[in-house]
Amino acid sequence: MSNLHPQQRPDTFQNSSSQRSISSNSWRASVDFGSKGVRHGSRSGNDSEGFSMSRREINDDDARLVYVNDPLKTNEMFEFAGNSIRTGKYSVITFLPRNLFEQFHRVAYMYFLIIAVLNQLPQLAVFGRGASILPLASVLFVTAVKDAYEDWRRHKSDKIENNRMASVLVNDRFELKKWKDIQVGEVVKISADETIPCDIVLLSTSDPTGVAYVQTINLDGESNLKTRYAKQETLSRIPEKDIISGLIKCEKPNRNIYGFQANMEIDGKRVSLGPSNIILRGCVIKNTDWAVGVAVYAGRETKAMLNNSGAPSKRSRLETHMNQEIMLLSFFLVTLCVVVSACAGVWLRRHQDELDLMPFYRRKDYSEGKVENYNYYGLGMEIFFSFLMSVIVFQIMIPISLYISMELVRVGQAYFMIRDDRMFDASSNTRFQCRALNINEDLGQIKYVFSDKTGTLTENKMEFQFASIAGVDYSGEKTEVYVEQGGYNIQVDGQVWRPKVKVQVDPKLLQLSKTLNDTKSSKEIYDFFLALAACNTIVPIVVNSSNPNEKLIDYQGESPDEQALVYAAAAYGFMLIERTSGHIVIDIQGERQRFNVLGMHEFDSDRKRMSVILGYPDSTVKVFVKGADTSMFKIIDESLNLDVVRATEAHLHSYSSVGLRTLVVGMRALSVSEFDTWQTSYEIASTALMGRAGLLRKVAINLENNLTLLGASAIEDRLQKGVPEAIESLRKANMKVWVLTGDKQETAISIGYSSRLLTSKMSQIVINNNSKMSCKKSLEDALITCKKLIDVTSATDDDASSVALIIDGTSLVYILDTELEEQLFELASKCAVVLCCRVAPLQKAGIVALIKNRTDDMTLAIGDGANDVSMIQMADVGVGISGQEGRQAVMASDFAMGQFRFLVPLLLVHGHWNYQRMAYMILYNFYRNALFVLVLFWYVLYTGFTLTTAITEWSSVLYSIIYTAVPTIVIGILDKDLSRKSLMAYPQLYGSGQRKESYNLKLFWVTMVDTLWQSVVAFFIPVLAYWKSDIDSSSLGDLWTLAVVFMVNIHLAMDVIRWTWLSHASIWGSIIATCICVIIIDAIPVLPGYWAIFILGSSGLFWICLFGILVASMIPRFVVKMFMQHCKPCDIQIAREAEKFRNSMEVTRSGEIEMHR
Amino acid sequence: MEKKNKNSKKPTYSKFSQQELPAWKPILSPGWVIATFLTIGAVFIPIGLLALAASDSVVEIIDRYDDGCVPDDFSKNAQSFIQNPNTKKTCIRTLKVPKKMVAPIFVYYELENFYQNHRRYVKSRSDKQLRDPDDEDETKSCYPEANTADDKPIVPCGLIAWSLFNDTYKLSTKNKAITIDKKGIAWKSDIKAKFGSDVYPKNFQKGKLIGGAKLDEKKPLSEQEDLIVWMRTAALPRFRKLYGKINTDIEAHETIKVEVENNYNTYKFSGRKKLVLSTTTWIGGKNDFVGVVYVSLGAICIFMAVNFILLYVFRPRRLGDPSYLSWNRNPIG
Repeated sequence: MSNLHPQQRPDTFQNSSSQRSISSNSWRASVDFGSKGVRHGSRSGNDSEGFSMSRREINDDDARLVYVNDPLKTNEMFEFAGNSIRTGKYSVITFLPRNLFEQFHRVAYMYFLIIAVLNQLPQLAVFGRGASILPLASVLFVTAVKDAYEDWRRHKSDKIENNRMASVLVNDRFELKKWKDIQVGEVVKISADETIPCDIVLLSTSDPTGVAYVQTINLDGESNLKTRYAKQETLSRIPEKDIISGLIKCEKPNRNIYGFQANMEIDGKRVSLGPSNIILRGCVIKNTDWAVGVAVYAGRETKAMLNNSGAPSKRSRLETHMNQEIMLLSFFLVTLCVVVSACAGVWLRRHQDELDLMPFYRRKDYSEGKVENYNYYGLGMEIFFSFLMSVIVFQIMIPISLYISMELVRVGQAYFMIRDDRMFDASSNTRFQCRALNINEDLGQIKYVFSDKTGTLTENKMEFQFASIAGVDYSGEKTEVYVEQGGYNIQVDGQVWRPKVKVQVDPKLLQLSKTLNDTKSSKEIYDFFLALAACNTIVPIVVNSSNPNEKLIDYQGESPDEQALVYAAAAYGFMLIERTSGHIVIDIQGERQRFNVLGMHEFDSDRKRMSVILGYPDSTVKVFVKGADTSMFKIIDESLNLDVVRATEAHLHSYSSVGLRTLVVGMRALSVSEFDTWQTSYEIASTALMGRAGLLRKVAINLENNLTLLGASAIEDRLQKGVPEAIESLRKANMKVWVLTGDKQETAISIGYSSRLLTSKMSQIVINNNSKMSCKKSLEDALITCKKLIDVTSATDDDASSVALIIDGTSLVYILDTELEEQLFELASKCAVVLCCRVAPLQKAGIVALIKNRTDDMTLAIGDGANDVSMIQMADVGVGISGQEGRQAVMASDFAMGQFRFLVPLLLVHGHWNYQRMAYMILYNFYRNALFVLVLFWYVLYTGFTLTTAITEWSSVLYSIIYTAVPTIVIGILDKDLSRKSLMAYPQLYGSGQRKESYNLKLFWVTMVDTLWQSVVAFFIPVLAYWKSDIDSSSLGDLWTLAVVFMVNIHLAMDVIRWTWLSHASIWGSIIATCICVIIIDAIPVLPGYWAIFILGSSGLFWICLFGILVASMIPRFVVKMFMQHCKPCDIQIAREAEKFRNSMEVTRSGEIEMHR
Repeated sequence: MEKKNKNSKKPTYSKFSQQELPAWKPILSPGWVIATFLTIGAVFIPIGLLALAASDSVVEIIDRYDDGCVPDDFSKNAQSFIQNPNTKKTCIRTLKVPKKMVAPIFVYYELENFYQNHRRYVKSRSDKQLRDPDDEDETKSCYPEANTADDKPIVPCGLIAWSLFNDTYKLSTKNKAITIDKKGIAWKSDIKAKFGSDVYPKNFQKGKLIGGAKLDEKKPLSEQEDLIVWMRTAALPRFRKLYGKINTDIEAHETIKVEVENNYNTYKFSGRKKLVLSTTTWIGGKNDFVGVVYVSLGAICIFMAVNFILLYVFRPRRLGDPSYLSWNRNPIG
């Protein structure tokens, strides 16, 4: 593998449909190298004409036949979907059954349901009907209300969508029709600024050349205009007068928005159709008065609707760990139930003879005349029933409500992340996006960051810098010529047209390009700039400027490199002013020239170059090729001018070593016979339906050879704002930053320096081999060097001991998926920095997998382009940059943002908070529920093991719904262990998440031991205090209820770090709410506990017990916490103290001093 | 950049959305820790001592009579004694008063090994039936003491009422009888709202098996205070229930003669019966436990305070001292 075209990187991943559950093996399988076809001005980079369809012929079985302007015939054979859409899931009738069905897909709800059903059996009825159904009902109700609201909103928007109007050709006249009534096969007319109602194949437009400009922002978020073309054969027809009829044979509906493959039979001719001939639902027509097209996909079969799927779902690391602890808790639960049922069995056995008459058991029923057993089913069954009943009573040991609380907390956290104005990118006007809702806390535990370079570290805003033309380097002083002269411009109808973007020019070269004559060097310069202006897919669009006498030419295209080159050519007097599918017009030094575009071979990842065949006005034909240096030098005829080639190579090296992106341009004149041969094969290839892309590639390869070297260009891609600082912060936070780029080694290293990834103190290990054996050897050598370096320097300086590994894609081919992987991993884990250059998209995923499969550390991948999709999906956390390169990375990501530097607040601040909050919340929920269960359990031991609860059933049920639910969620959303300032100033604080300090098995056990102690205190203090007294069970139950609720809230209060008014309100509010609930329950005369709380509250012993319990239960915890805090303070503790007891300036300053020591 | 235009998606600033709500951020510095411990100690020890003193001032006389009140010839088979309606159940016990008992003196009976909190038992009642004469058929929850053999509802139904305690005590000193006041022993709330004044016992204890006391069918349930007390089921298997109150003082060293009518069958489940005479204070009856807990908690807190003082003196740590940070303690690995 070698350097990819800097911008035009292939999209090799089946983006949209690929699922997130890619295992290390399956990611290879799910990849299909897309192949290319001819397109004009559409996405040149992410060319993907049929990701999956490209290799297959559309045979009649797989095809959809659309008879143009004949919906009846089109729809008679197959029922194609109509254009009405239904995103709503439910209707009024289906809502209840369907919503319930969907809800019960969750394990948690099934658990609730099973427990509730068990409780309905008369033998097991622990709780009354109402009390047992309440928890399930409340959860179902809340979720149903939420779902219903969402669905109502969907229905509303569906209704609006379906009732929009569009004009449709009916009986040879355009009539207005509702969107929902449009059928496949109908001809639709869309005017400027209207939205396309369904996927249509363009037939003709207001533009005589059949061009339509569309904005796809609704579809993929890209704001630049794209051009779509009507086919030559149809573009001149006006549907109302000139009846079009034909047959379009196209692929079955699929979700690939960048691919379309079809052909059209019209007037007996067979015309091929590609993605540039289709406009998708949701796009908006711009700069075109009208466009007419035939509907091919409608309604739910449109590509936009097929792509309308939800965000990927992953499970966070914390949740995975939590589930293990939940297994432990289930084990505890089973243990408790076994203990209870075994004791019940022993008790029954020991009292076997007494049971018949025991006043509190009365096994025999004497009332009905004949004596029989009453509600007794034999010892075995009684034990079994005891077991089931104890499961019902102790059900909340498994904190099912925790899952719901976690969802709510994550929603809150996502809200804060999205609303963070420090993660808002003003330049692209994008907010942070939280696409995956269940891995927020993973952001606090990242150890490896894999970053793409272009567009991620850099701005992906290209600026033309230097040129090397025919072996002469023009990289002299730049003057801002445009300041003096206003740049290059042309006069059209008395108006001044100038390029929209101004470029700094080299004065010498400008001079030369202006004075074109017949000398050889002058011709070379002419050809070079003509190549830059012509050999691309850029479309010039003339836009009005603020000055009425001046118009700006905006070069629209998807490749920023190409834009930069065209703007550069314009600045030097080669201004592209018109492009259609058949010709281009270039203003060369004030003289308009029209060239026929006879053919174009688009960029593809195998060739890594593109070419355009131009027919000159004097009917000579030349092919211009531009591409990556590696691919270009192979096809350049070196014998023509060896010196020039050598000189250019030297220039290229110097350009790339300062971090510039380079392209090489070549040219060849075609003889008539050559051209004819090419044209025939090109025609055949471009209309072929089977393997079109492969055929075209073959045609291109045959053509692109023996080129004359014209020169090379160097484009600068500037680093994004704040990237070096961000990388430094990440590295201080002990994260390993790996950069994976398609660029050349020199470019990658220079970017490494400028982004402070590499420092001069670091030792570099470069692995750059061409065979497996040499890879093996260099890996072994590198390991030895690495060990030496670390041994030597470990005692001295931190920075010098760090080793940077630079490895290229070719070597990786021999290393990944072989036994050498292990060595590479060993080496890489010793290195502070790893730079992988010239890697293919799949290798990116392979590198992520290398780390992910071998360590327990969390990985994060960040990228912006389609080529990063595989890596983003592979990593534990995928972050997409919504930048210049389309939305595929964002669509595949878990989180998306505008700038690389936002990674720092995202990880160090939000990630840290999310992790701390979630970790604490999980432990607290375990504690909270286990405490209650244990208190119930102790009491069961004093009731003859019969699962009576002193606490009323309503309190048992309300415990996790009202008494203790709100504070944990509020604290889980709002509590902050440290301020943003400290977290940003001391990136090392992030280490607490990496070391799993806030949630681990040890903490779990400590929590459980504490819970055990607290439950003992809560249960036995009242028992011993009221021993031998006349206390009734309701009163004692009320005391336990209040004690437990007070305890869990005070416990929480002891751990709250920031007391906002919301924290106060939720904690103290819960306590008050509990008291009110207990009072209400005790004011109902038919319940056995009537008035108990009032009698209890008026006795001194009650208050004495309550306060005794609170103090006694919290003392061990308090002592241990204070002791650890003093003797073994964690980083967070120190930082918090520093925050409080010094002013903020001092924190920063001392922090810096400490960091550099 | 800061300029706001219509299309900007820049999140609107609020202290809440930026997580900058004003907050109180307490940090427990050494001073606070010591102060907390000392305060708890200072509050808990006196309360504990007061509780101990109160408990000490309670005069309590306990007499277990279940085995003593079985005649010797039945001692092997107490069951047959208690179940035989013809045996003489009266039994005389004498109690010594150690200290002067000041009125009101509470008379309790104490049962042990009696699971009034047993699942089968606690559910075997009908609160609706007790409140309202119209609901007398609400006996579904009362099995096996719901209806008579000829299917008439029992009022009050259920095992709890059926097993009503029926031992009686007559107290006297030097042949002078001590009156036990049986009024006002039940909760006023129960009398008012849980037991109807127009609900009369019906078909009660008419079955084959007599569980305990019979009720006067002329008196409404709200006046059957023994039943009301009994129906407030005890929390623990060893419990006391109020039998009555004595409104006269009893001098120290006096001897009380108790005439026990030993009717209640606890022999079948080896339950014990005791008679308790006790005065009360603000913490209830005699119970040192609370006092001991409070004094020990206080002592532990003082002890911890001392420990922490020593810790802070001998191993001081400046708050926010960066040299304790993990990356300063050991270099980045």
